[in-house]
Amino acid sequence: MNTHDQFRELLEAYALGSLDSADRALLETHLASGCAECAKALEDARWLVSQLAYLAPNAEPSDMLKGRLLQTVRAEAAGGAGPQAVRGAEVPWWLWAGVAALLLFSIYSAWNEQHLRRTVTNLQQHAEAQRAERQKLEEQLRVAKLQAHEAMIWMDPKSVKIMLPPKDPKMPQLEAMWHPEMGLVVRGWKVPNPGGNRVLQLWLIPKAGGKPMPSMTFWPDANGKFSAMVENPPDTMSDTQALAITEEPVGGSTQPTSAPMWVGGVS
Amino acid sequence: MFLAVFSPKGNDEVSLDATLMQQLLRRDVSAFEELYERHSRIVYSLVLRILRQGSTAEEVVQDVFLQLWRNCARYDTSRPFVPWLLTLARNRALDHLRLKSERQRRREEQTEEFPQIASAAPEYEKALDEKRRAERVRALIGSLPSAQKKAIELAYFEGLSHSEIAAALNEPLGTVKSWIRSGLMRLKESLQATS
Repeated sequence: MNTHDQFRELLEAYALGSLDSADRALLETHLASGCAECAKALEDARWLVSQLAYLAPNAEPSDMLKGRLLQTVRAEAAGGAGPQAVRGAEVPWWLWAGVAALLLFSIYSAWNEQHLRRTVTNLQQHAEAQRAERQKLEEQLRVAKLQAHEAMIWMDPKSVKIMLPPKDPKMPQLEAMWHPEMGLVVRGWKVPNPGGNRVLQLWLIPKAGGKPMPSMTFWPDANGKFSAMVENPPDTMSDTQALAITEEPVGGSTQPTSAPMWVGGVS
Repeated sequence: MFLAVFSPKGNDEVSLDATLMQQLLRRDVSAFEELYERHSRIVYSLVLRILRQGSTAEEVVQDVFLQLWRNCARYDTSRPFVPWLLTLARNRALDHLRLKSERQRRREEQTEEFPQIASAAPEYEKALDEKRRAERVRALIGSLPSAQKKAIELAYFEGLSHSEIAAALNEPLGTVKSWIRSGLMRLKESLQATS
């Protein structure tokens, strides 16, 4: 018996799948070499082995199996899926369950994200409202403090009242109150607004002569009323001869650019 | 050498299966139904013999026929249909029986998912119709000594290797090899013989 015959003897067992690994490797090497005779004999051996199926006792599948199969096949045919198509019926239930769980999780995540976004937006709006309210209260407090400070200057016996008559007799008279420690307040009524980009500016005229010393700028409200205070005037009361008020550009000037509209001597 | 007796019925049946498979390519559901009617019993019988559990066997049979429907384009209509279908069903059933095992790996190495069967049916397939071939297979294997019959059944229905069968039957390896080979040779001779 030659080597070729030895391989032929292995073909039926190979077709059965019962060859042990060493014999199988030998035969597969031979088949891979392109032996047409053995390849043909192997196909016949596979056919022969398939006939052993008739040893199985006769049995009938249930009608339900046929029903399930036809239902799937009809659905796929109606869906226009060609051969090789991957169909839903092949997908196991647990995969569908996983997909459903993932879908639910995605919906929940999207809803949760929207919910969080709304919550964050509400919190931001709430914080913004609180911040605005706080600023409003701070402004009110600042104004109240200012008014209290001004009131204290006006009422304190150590304050000195200074009248500022207008150069133009049509203009109202202004008055000022200067406290040596708490500062200087100037106020007036029915004062025309300078208009344009101009403001009123207070000047301190030194006793020793020289240039007037610039101080605060201010402007009346719509009713011509104003009350302006400077806590730290640029000079002391004892060194100041008079107070003067001029019209200046917005932001004030370092020296007067117009004639004084009000002047009042400091006694 | 055998004498082939032409059997019009057997030949017609082979031709009918090929025609039905061609119709399947055109997504003909009635052709699928007829193929199922013609072959579901032997396929189910084989799978049930291997798996021994009705519901699991039906799952595998369903899988086999759906594969037939979906992958019919990969079937070569010039090849004998029933042996191809039976080989496909056996492979699927044994895969279920021994998932992830060494035997599965060995089968996967040997046979493709769509098995290779003789490109032309042996003459004795044409000579005998399916019913007579089935009777002859049962008669021949039934006539073998019980140990030899058992060895062939363990190989075919359980997917055991020569060594595993030798161990299961407590027989020498050479004896088992010889039993299986001689049994199959006798089967071949029986199928080749005229009625």
